[in-house]
Amino acid sequence: MQFGIFTVGDVTADPTTGRTPTEHERIRATVAIAKKAEEVGLDVFATGEHHNPPFVPSSPTTTLAYIAASTERIMLSTSTTLITTNDPVKIAEDYATLQHLAGGRVDLMLGRGNQGMVYPWFGQDIRQGIPLAVENYNLLHRLWREDVVDWKGRFRTPLQGFTSTPRPLDGVPPFVWHGSIRSPEIAEQAAYYGDGFFHNHIFWPPEHTRRMVELYRRRYEHYGHGAADQAVVGLGGQVYMAKNSQDAVREFRPYFDNAPVYGGGPSLEDFSEQTPLTGGSPQQVIDRTLGFRDYVGDYQRQMFLVDHAGLPLKTVLEQLDMLGEQVVPVLRKEFDALRPAHVPEAPTHASLVAARDAAAGSADQKAGVPA
Amino acid sequence: MTRRIIAVSSGMSEPSSTRLLADRLARESATALGGAELGGAENSSAETRTVELRGHAHAIADAMLTGFPSGALRGVVDDVAAADGLILVTPTFTASYSGLIKAFIDILDPDALQGKPVILGATGGTERHSLMIDHAMRPLMAYLRAMPVPTGVYAASTDWGAAGLDERIGRAAAELAAMVAGGPVQQPVRDGFADPVPFEELLNG
Repeated sequence: MQFGIFTVGDVTADPTTGRTPTEHERIRATVAIAKKAEEVGLDVFATGEHHNPPFVPSSPTTTLAYIAASTERIMLSTSTTLITTNDPVKIAEDYATLQHLAGGRVDLMLGRGNQGMVYPWFGQDIRQGIPLAVENYNLLHRLWREDVVDWKGRFRTPLQGFTSTPRPLDGVPPFVWHGSIRSPEIAEQAAYYGDGFFHNHIFWPPEHTRRMVELYRRRYEHYGHGAADQAVVGLGGQVYMAKNSQDAVREFRPYFDNAPVYGGGPSLEDFSEQTPLTGGSPQQVIDRTLGFRDYVGDYQRQMFLVDHAGLPLKTVLEQLDMLGEQVVPVLRKEFDALRPAHVPEAPTHASLVAARDAAAGSADQKAGVPA
Repeated sequence: MTRRIIAVSSGMSEPSSTRLLADRLARESATALGGAELGGAENSSAETRTVELRGHAHAIADAMLTGFPSGALRGVVDDVAAADGLILVTPTFTASYSGLIKAFIDILDPDALQGKPVILGATGGTERHSLMIDHAMRPLMAYLRAMPVPTGVYAASTDWGAAGLDERIGRAAAELAAMVAGGPVQQPVRDGFADPVPFEELLNG
């Protein structure tokens, strides 16, 4: 099982000091956080993508390439890449380039974006969100798999004899996760292609997560990619830890109460009960996280949100220490012990290359070609 | 067949005339459907539930901010969506319905009231606001494609001591009963989870 962190990239005032970091500080902090994630033994770092203040990550592949050059092992991903307002041709080019630079340590998560005004800035319309996601990804999927593409669609100028360069590393495209909170069409899309499905699992009660994952698994089997319990599922989550749970709640409360997404709404206690948010001791985080399996089954990737709502860099790095030293090793062991042998790990570049070669090998055998 | 009638009141005080009007509309509607209240006669063909939004005010504000209704409010939202008939009663505040009932309607699924028979009721300090039901509440129902009965029931303070309110309540209840007994007008909304649109259809759509 893979463990990692995902960031929104918000620039938010620290409510305990009133100080807002500069964009420069936030970008440098993002890099420091990613490097720390590798240092403490996490498997994945993912950045969001936004094109309006108060967010800084408008250029994810630039940031991820820099992180790739400063790290050795950690997988780089997104949370999410906007499949609606980005040109799928540019996504194909940018992420293939990143794949080469990062030596294959790249996958990406696609999302639609939920801010109405962003779409027109990129010449699109949020009411076409689902059709855009469906058509754009279909093109992206082909650009990475066919050397020469002739294509015509509703939203983008046609392509004649187009080759997306560079070609994916080793001829194997980055693995794709499709993220959605409540649109069954996106679970269907992930299942159709045999791609991963990711549920943000932060803003809404577990019931919504369960329903989306159940649909994805059922349809994954329907489309012949494997049994439902072999589908590739990722979950988000958010935690704030301290040695004692009372300290965790006390320290996190001002950040929760002023957070852009839920500030002014439910109390920290209510929201912790209604959603997977956990403020508590490392042991409480372990127990709660193990419980996710009860409603989504054995899954492949767990991502945590730790650096939002104005939390200072120092605190975030301390959170990562606790995550890496006290929480993830236990979760890794427990989840691995529970997972049946036929349920796969999350794909990596190496495993995808091996699977491709194995498939080619068995096809050669069938055709009587010696290996 | 048991029909479910839910009355939603956004009255503020305890007791409130808004709640009183909601209860009377619910009782008369159940009677008109030939039934009795929940827990009543064995052969009852209508069960009613009255909900006061005041008790859910914090949860409604939370749901506006988080995007999901939690706790007991979740049950109210589900019951409204599943009801065969709805009674909405609000006090008249600054020439319109109360913000609380609007906030509640705002957190419902956009198609939750589609094709649903509804009685619109309102209370107020003066008769001068009696057209509020028609000028403010009906357009809201039109947007939601709900089916409000022709008779709106407005009760000014003086109406509680005057003739005519009973008659209007009875007429609205009879209209609701007739619409509810007529069966659902709207096709059920497709459940995208039980019955997802196949991907080829999405791709070629």
